Amino acid sequence: MSAGSILVVDDDPQIRRVMRVALVASGYIVNDAKSGEGALEALRNNKYDLVLLDINMPGIGGLETCRLIRTTSEIPIIMLTVRSSENDKVEALDAGADDYITKPFGTPELLARIRAALRRSPLSTDGLPESLALGEIEVCFNIRRVRKGTLEIPLTPKETDLLRFLAANCNAPVPHARLLQTIWGPDYGDEVEYLRVFVNHLRKKIEPNPSSPQYLLTVPRVGYQLQVPSKR
Amino acid sequence: MNIKSTVRLAAVLGTIGAITLLCFHLVPVNATTAGFAYLIAILLIATAWGLLEAMVASVTAVLCFNYFFFPPIGTFTIAEPRNWVALCAFLATSIVASQLSARAKRQAQEAMERREETERLYALSRAILLTEAGRMAPKEYAKEIAQIFDLSSVALYERYSAATYRAGPNDLPGVEEKLREAATLGTLFRDELSEITVTPIHLGGQPIASLAISGRLLSDSALQAISNLVAIGLEKVRGQEAASQAEAARRSEELKSTLLDAIAHEFKTPLTSIKAAASALLLNAENSTEQQRELATIVNEEADRMAWLVTEAIQMARIEAGEIQLNRRSCALPKLLSKALERLRLLTEDRALDVQIDPNVPMIAADTGLLELAIRQVIDNALKYSPPTSAIHVRLSAGENGIIISIRDEGPGIPEVDQAHVFDKFYRGSNTRSKLAGTGMGLAVARHILRSHGGDIQLATTSEKGSEFVISLPVVSEAKRR
Repeated sequence: MSAGSILVVDDDPQIRRVMRVALVASGYIVNDAKSGEGALEALRNNKYDLVLLDINMPGIGGLETCRLIRTTSEIPIIMLTVRSSENDKVEALDAGADDYITKPFGTPELLARIRAALRRSPLSTDGLPESLALGEIEVCFNIRRVRKGTLEIPLTPKETDLLRFLAANCNAPVPHARLLQTIWGPDYGDEVEYLRVFVNHLRKKIEPNPSSPQYLLTVPRVGYQLQVPSKR
Repeated sequence: MNIKSTVRLAAVLGTIGAITLLCFHLVPVNATTAGFAYLIAILLIATAWGLLEAMVASVTAVLCFNYFFFPPIGTFTIAEPRNWVALCAFLATSIVASQLSARAKRQAQEAMERREETERLYALSRAILLTEAGRMAPKEYAKEIAQIFDLSSVALYERYSAATYRAGPNDLPGVEEKLREAATLGTLFRDELSEITVTPIHLGGQPIASLAISGRLLSDSALQAISNLVAIGLEKVRGQEAASQAEAARRSEELKSTLLDAIAHEFKTPLTSIKAAASALLLNAENSTEQQRELATIVNEEADRMAWLVTEAIQMARIEAGEIQLNRRSCALPKLLSKALERLRLLTEDRALDVQIDPNVPMIAADTGLLELAIRQVIDNALKYSPPTSAIHVRLSAGENGIIISIRDEGPGIPEVDQAHVFDKFYRGSNTRSKLAGTGMGLAVARHILRSHGGDIQLATTSEKGSEFVISLPVVSEAKRR
């Protein structure tokens, strides 16, 4: 049985070639695309478990491709980027990527990040809540949806995991490193900007006023805290 | 004494003579009435012409009064002492009255002049404020001063740039030295005879420039006001210059960062393949030999690509710095063209390449390495700025005026704003700048190489159906060159 099927999107043929060999050697089924347009086409025709997406490509480019994929799919996306400035990372995550990796990278690191992204539900669901009520909003973790009256907003797997873990530890601050290691995996811990981006996305989905949050709170220099209103 | 004042004095004497004639011969009156008639004439003269004329009229009137009206009549002697008193009183009255009216006239005239000066200063301040603060602004200031104040010549010396800006029909010979002195030491120079004034222009207590004017002498206050206005204008120019220098520095920083970004991308791509392949080899020792071979091949190929990128970067930097040395050899262009295309194989493998080569193209003497680099840059540019699977058309032909290589893509065309800049160093298309890797040096370097071969490159056509670049090269044979 394969470990999963991966779509590699890069305009450089040599990078596609080396990815194919390295990933096949680790048990993945690999297909590739040369451009963002090709990737969207491939995703329409086949089912994949993960997309490796280069940011810098001619045509529609990696960020735009990522946004377009996100309009229809929750598939894990790892961005490949040359630049390592914080702004570029935040842009990648904001576009909907789950993770990114900076070129040049070693194969072991890439494989670790692929494993982390594929771990859909890293938490054992025992003892974790199935749903969460925040005022007029109801979050259903099992179907990854936020219900706001008749409106249903989908959550990505990482967003679901993050919110669920915070709900399990509600009304208490959870440190950055603990969140990163639980949701992304043991190789993570310093990528605070990941949390910032995902928390911002979550706030847009669950907060009545995302710029002054009342549920998902920032605890300065510590981490985040989910404030659940007590039931009467 | 000029003609005007001679005529006036004659008129003064004539007037006094006429009054004497009237009062003595035509309508004989007593001495008192004649005295009043003289006094009225003197007052009118003082008001109309000034003090000098009035004084001459007074003295003449006293003499006539004495001669014709005081007994013994017909002599300058006065018999009765009371007539002495009357004559002295007349003289004193006429002098005082003429002085008073002359002063009133002078004051009125000064007020007029001041009003006129104020109007001119207002016009100058408007002109200085409205002049665009460019490099040519000081020249404009000099021109405006000459025109508004009706001066025959104006020279403005700016200490900062040590430049002199002149205006007006006459030159001011030898004024440079005085201008420099005024701008350094802050001294005022005024030559009443030649009507030349050189005044320093101060800003914040420091002389920053100087102004020489000739053609008329301006009042001190007007001169001060002009120099203040010019100081403001020059400061405005300096401020503008400083701002545009800061802008240029910022743009050069931006270019540098784009260039570094592009280099990072170009180099990191093969490096990524090498690192990923090498680490995969180390990771999975149990890989099949076929996989190991494939990974090792990639490392090998990409190391070559890196080496080639480094060579090319050095070559580009040399050419960009102007160090170009042609090593001309006999060169077959069809072969050179296929070599260039072969080098770009990785980029062209999905492309339909439509290559047409005229077999009658003669051999030329050229630096094959550089010429290939130039052609490759143009093809690479076409590949970059057109859809990933669209066709590229390359034509090599020999015409009457030399050899023509046309490279046409099926891209979206070059926007009008960019067309004039495609060959500018570091210039990147305005709508692709952030999306596409590239240094913005390719076409600039290509043109440099082609021009040093006596040829050129031009953007022949560009539309939404694609762009065509045309390279022209003269036929220079080995034999002809020697």
